[in-house]
Amino acid sequence: MSVEERRARTRGARARFPQFVVLRRVAGETSRGALIWGAVFGLVVVSSARGFVSTYTTVAARQRAAATLGTNKGLQALFGAPHHIATVGGWTAWRSLGLVALIGAVWALLTATKQVRGEEDAGRWELLLAGQTTRRRAAGQAVAGLALGLGVLWVVTAAITVAVGRANDTRFSFSAGLYLALALVSSPAMFLAVGALASQLAGTRRQAAGLAAGVLGAAFVVRLAANSASGLRWARWLSPLGWVDELRPLTGTRPVALIPVLAFVLALGGTAAYLAGRRDLGASILPDRSGARAHTRLLGSPLGLSVRLTRNVAISWAVGLGAFGLIMGLVAKSAGESLSRETLKQLGAPHGGALGYLGVAFIIVAALLALAAAGQVTATRDEEGEGHLDNLLVRPVARLPWLAGRFLVATVMLLILGLVIGVFAWAGAATQQSDISLGRILVAGVAVIPAAVFVLGLGTLTQGILPRYAGALAYGIVAWSFLVQLIGSAINANSWLLDLSVFHHLAPAPAADPNWTSAAALATLGISAAALGALTFTRRDLAAT
Amino acid sequence: MGVAICTEGLSKRYGDLLALAPLDLEVAEGEVLGYLGPNGAGKTTTIRLLLGLVQPTAGRAEIFGLDVQRDAVAAHRRLAYVPGEATLWPALTGAETLHLLGRVQGRVDEGYRDELIGRFEFDSSRKVRAYSKGNRQKLLLIAALMCRPDLLVLDEPTSGLDPLMEQAFRQSVFEAKRAGQTVLLSSHILSEVEALCDRVAILRSGRLIDSGTLAEMRHLSALSVEATFDATPPDVSHVPGVTKVEVEGNQLRCQVQGPVEPLLKRLSAVGVTQLLSREPSLEELFLAHYGAESNRRTAEAAHVG
Repeated sequence: MSVEERRARTRGARARFPQFVVLRRVAGETSRGALIWGAVFGLVVVSSARGFVSTYTTVAARQRAAATLGTNKGLQALFGAPHHIATVGGWTAWRSLGLVALIGAVWALLTATKQVRGEEDAGRWELLLAGQTTRRRAAGQAVAGLALGLGVLWVVTAAITVAVGRANDTRFSFSAGLYLALALVSSPAMFLAVGALASQLAGTRRQAAGLAAGVLGAAFVVRLAANSASGLRWARWLSPLGWVDELRPLTGTRPVALIPVLAFVLALGGTAAYLAGRRDLGASILPDRSGARAHTRLLGSPLGLSVRLTRNVAISWAVGLGAFGLIMGLVAKSAGESLSRETLKQLGAPHGGALGYLGVAFIIVAALLALAAAGQVTATRDEEGEGHLDNLLVRPVARLPWLAGRFLVATVMLLILGLVIGVFAWAGAATQQSDISLGRILVAGVAVIPAAVFVLGLGTLTQGILPRYAGALAYGIVAWSFLVQLIGSAINANSWLLDLSVFHHLAPAPAADPNWTSAAALATLGISAAALGALTFTRRDLAAT
Repeated sequence: MGVAICTEGLSKRYGDLLALAPLDLEVAEGEVLGYLGPNGAGKTTTIRLLLGLVQPTAGRAEIFGLDVQRDAVAAHRRLAYVPGEATLWPALTGAETLHLLGRVQGRVDEGYRDELIGRFEFDSSRKVRAYSKGNRQKLLLIAALMCRPDLLVLDEPTSGLDPLMEQAFRQSVFEAKRAGQTVLLSSHILSEVEALCDRVAILRSGRLIDSGTLAEMRHLSALSVEATFDATPPDVSHVPGVTKVEVEGNQLRCQVQGPVEPLLKRLSAVGVTQLLSREPSLEELFLAHYGAESNRRTAEAAHVG
């Protein structure tokens, strides 16, 4: 369908139901995301169930896993209290609910603030509200659109959970499958409502997302406290995430916990629509912070600007990777003990135990760091493509120092992230009395950085030669390498296939000593590629996106 | 007087598209040059070549005697540029952006900066993402003017400004002119160019088709004459130099090129009650150039058909 046709169709639809255009737009966009995320939620269930069945084949192994992982205080604090985790159902519910409640909440609050506040900020509502739609009706429609998207999310998730229940070795009923899907989408439902309400309170999309993320953080901390101290068990009823745990799918369902969930969603969604009618378009109920005070400390040079533009991204990554490292450390001991040496060996670790588990986990860390590097490639390329760079290059700034500065800032960010992961993983492991030295784990954090520098360098080279493909190539290398790593270890692939993965050239530190030779080779290749890219960059036309 | 901008056979080709045919252009120091042409004529391409943002297919350009490719940084110390499409870092505030751009440029007249902020009624405390197109444009104008550069390169700088701010802009360019700064003003707002520029260069489909002072260009083109009679106007269509004759009741409108004496003789032979004549506006000059082209095309099409 051509652009013209699509426009004509949209015009036609708008002409027929002009009053529902917001609803249609929000429902459409949310549903598209929900299709993907419903599938992701379903896959989490599938992988939890399949993983349990294939890893713990005997009843004895299952009992042992339940005994070690089920009593791990750190895991309980993060994922909630386990129930009957020696059974497939109990294990699946515990693992998938703990994970999806968090991922789903983040998806939901980002989606709601984008659809409600982002659309308003972009000025799209201004056009609509010039017609017959009122603000309150528009906000009501947006909330209804989010609800429709949520419906899609539940249907997709349920289709997969029901299918999982049909399998011979998992086996649970049709209605239990539906209820599991309901429990999985209950956290997204609540945080869609939080996002919609935050969009009315805050003045910009970013501020709204921050506010909603704050609510999620508070809910998480309250549940963390309730799950880690036995005297605070009652406090789990104070946190929306606690209600999700109390739904207990597949292990003696407790539909009574749906009452607070439903009340929360209705109250927040209704308040959002009500508040929308009481304020001006583009205005906020909380004081507006878009007129921030000038902070000019870093803004004296192009390099300072690069630091300033990267700072927030770097902080977000540090928080995310720090949390990841902490969880990794917390579970290292229990996981290392419950997984058999054969399983770990197949995944690439030379021996079992906490170190073996961490050696495997650091491959994922390497992939995450490489993702951060790919993000920097895209950011640098967008700086050029969106025309922001023009403002520097028409002034006395040369291209080579600018690009070199960007590369340097990104590399320093990767180095800091590697150290952050190491520190937090060590801290997590230390609370579980795993006997791992800080030095050893820090070295493991540093040893994965060359793979990320390699991605950064090839991305920079591409920006020099084929600027429009720089981001795609960088993300492509990461995705390809991770896929090869995943498939390769499962099917014992030929070594030439594995050689094509960047991560394959890293030794599984801290389980083994880092392979400094290949690390140095990766870093050198990355830096050389970047230098070549920088040279071509100085000799070509600037290219818009 | 020195030369601010000088191009020799400067050209740019994108694949099959000739964005700029070999261009020889010279702008003297202290001169204000209007660079005219419809959308897609090659104005922005010329400017991006002059700034070294794109590489020429052939030819070269100098700014104050500095090669725009080899000595870009040195050349950029002496110029400031305002693009037509203002794209800035959305997360910075107006004040932060001004601070950064001033520091990068290396020199700022702070008193003048504050005066400009007042003149353009610019609120510098907000984030760039909250600014309208007009406000972003003001921000870049202030950033360029506050450095008092020797050369101002302005690419349709007023496309987002309201009429009041357009006045503020003209005042600022007058000040620059008085201070001896050179200005290259690319525009398709002809009244703006007419008010500000000493000289104009007209570009069409990548080719420079005319350049000169406004007086020179007017001299070459026709004078508009409007006459009212107490009876039916005489037939003037055979008078030498007269074109575009229109008769409406007792009124006659026509254009005359070259000496006006033959036309005056013919008119005074009949009873003229009112006679108006004026020089062509830039708009008419502009349309004459483009009109000729489109007439020729129509004629060709008719011939082929």
